[in-house]
Amino acid sequence: MRPDADLRPGLRRTLIGLVLIWSLGPMLWQLYSSFRTPAALLAGGAGLGSGWTLAHYVAVLQGDPPFWRYLLNSTVVGSLSTLLTLILAIPCAYALSRRGGLLRLLVGGGLLAAAVFPYVLLFLALLQVARNFGLANNLLALCLPYAGLSLPLAVLLLQAAFAELPVELEENAVLEGFSLGQRLRWILLPLMAPAIVSTALLVFLFSWNEFPIALTWLSRSELLTLAPAMARIAGSSVFSVPFGAFAAATVLGSVPLLALLLLFQRQIVAGLTQGAIKG
Amino acid sequence: MTPPSSDTGSCLRLSRLQRHLGGRTILDGIDLDVNAGECLALLGPSGCGKSTILRLIAGLDRGDGGSIKLDGRDVTALPPAQRQVAMVFQSYALYPHLSVERNLSLGMELRGIPRERREQDLVRVLTMLQLEDLRRRRPAELSGGQRQRVALARALLRRPRVFLLDEPMSNLDAQLREELRPQLRQILCGGSAPVVYVTHDQQEAMGIADRIAVLQDGRIQQCGTPQDLYSKPANLYVAGFIGRPKINLLPQTDGTIIGIRPEHLEAVGQGGLAAQVINREWHGASQQLTLSTARGELRWTCDGNQAVGETVQIGWDQHHEHRFDQQSGVRL
Repeated sequence: MRPDADLRPGLRRTLIGLVLIWSLGPMLWQLYSSFRTPAALLAGGAGLGSGWTLAHYVAVLQGDPPFWRYLLNSTVVGSLSTLLTLILAIPCAYALSRRGGLLRLLVGGGLLAAAVFPYVLLFLALLQVARNFGLANNLLALCLPYAGLSLPLAVLLLQAAFAELPVELEENAVLEGFSLGQRLRWILLPLMAPAIVSTALLVFLFSWNEFPIALTWLSRSELLTLAPAMARIAGSSVFSVPFGAFAAATVLGSVPLLALLLLFQRQIVAGLTQGAIKG
Repeated sequence: MTPPSSDTGSCLRLSRLQRHLGGRTILDGIDLDVNAGECLALLGPSGCGKSTILRLIAGLDRGDGGSIKLDGRDVTALPPAQRQVAMVFQSYALYPHLSVERNLSLGMELRGIPRERREQDLVRVLTMLQLEDLRRRRPAELSGGQRQRVALARALLRRPRVFLLDEPMSNLDAQLREELRPQLRQILCGGSAPVVYVTHDQQEAMGIADRIAVLQDGRIQQCGTPQDLYSKPANLYVAGFIGRPKINLLPQTDGTIIGIRPEHLEAVGQGGLAAQVINREWHGASQQLTLSTARGELRWTCDGNQAVGETVQIGWDQHHEHRFDQQSGVRL
């Protein structure tokens, strides 16, 4: 029996509708704003017949540097950070999941503490690091703090996923003569795909949205990632807030994320380990 | 058809095998010999150490003493990959993301077996285990019995020097288990590799194994053919464990215990033990009675027609009697 079976269908639909409005409302409002002329936006309900424009998109995309440059920067930094995080986190998580007792408890506790630590408190220290090592205004250098800050959570998530795989699968592979690399390549990682994809998305999202470090490490405008670039658009004029341009930038900035989600939706949802052991 | 195995018959020899875990003794000096083609069942309640023995043979766990020899070669310190053993796990451990075919061929591929031979071997076991029609399916799309066959096929393709089976039937329903027993025996036993079969089900052990080792508390209580265990149990534990319904135990005044199996009791005209039927279970070919006597309750398997409440005189033939020492439990 479904747990919500006694809920009346009308009430259920209303609740779902409210949740959808709650979560999608702001996005739809941004989408709407991005296509409206400033006059139409300020006039409120002046009618939907007129006042539509693509000018905000044109302005944002023809800026100096053009907006796609920021998207590219963010994509490069995000992808590299994610890759670096996974390369480091997967072996860590595997080793941790195959350890027992006190060591796992201590390392796990330490990772958890690091994962919940408010990283904003670190950004001055990180700025010092950037100065000392000459990492300022180096786009790829951003991957280092991003991967570092993402690692604790990534290791924890992947460790839990490794621990959930039935241990007999790997034991059987051992008996069949697989090396460690072969076990990872052919058995463990394919089964971990959903967990790896979810973890990768989290890391990518973090670096896509990260603001304080990107703001302080980068100053040359062609190197900016999305978040500081957006801040510049918002603060570009003292006299008015460029609602339309800001909304257009928001829409453009979320398109790659939506594309990623659509692309990996199957892996995220898929329960690949079904039927692994008992029926 | 003989099972694919190493060319020469191999034998397995365990001597004084020890395993301790956190101050607890799991295995306490296990000695066992299993010959090529012989099927030995390790039988015992859960926690008696039978799966541990299997894991030590496979190399998945390390022992704390004693040695394991395969073909006369000491493999005690050898890593599992080099021992060339095949294990069928209770859960079957099929790779859930791979088709039946890939489940079977991946190991051969990674072991560097040439393509033609891989294909030949694959077709042969698929045919032998009637899996041809299922070769493209995923494990999740198979029934319990089919999964077991895939696991067996994978074990055969390993060409192991010893087959290890860890409760391979426990996920199947009772009827299927009975059907599969002779099949399993035919596929695995009588080849050139020894078979070690772990189970807690005495019927299964008796049906499949050439010899049974009864384990309790990390020690082998008795090792012998099913007939040996049934007709000459070495101690009270084995007597109570083997045989259903359980053997009747009658303590004597001289410090011994007489054991008499329920099927060996018989109604006698007079001079027997007076008994009243207090419960009856109808099993078709026979019936299972519980009798109340002056010497305690007795179980009696008979084909008569005694009704509950009836009184009978019970006796037995002297040569069916088993005698045990009350203190040590050892057979006298």
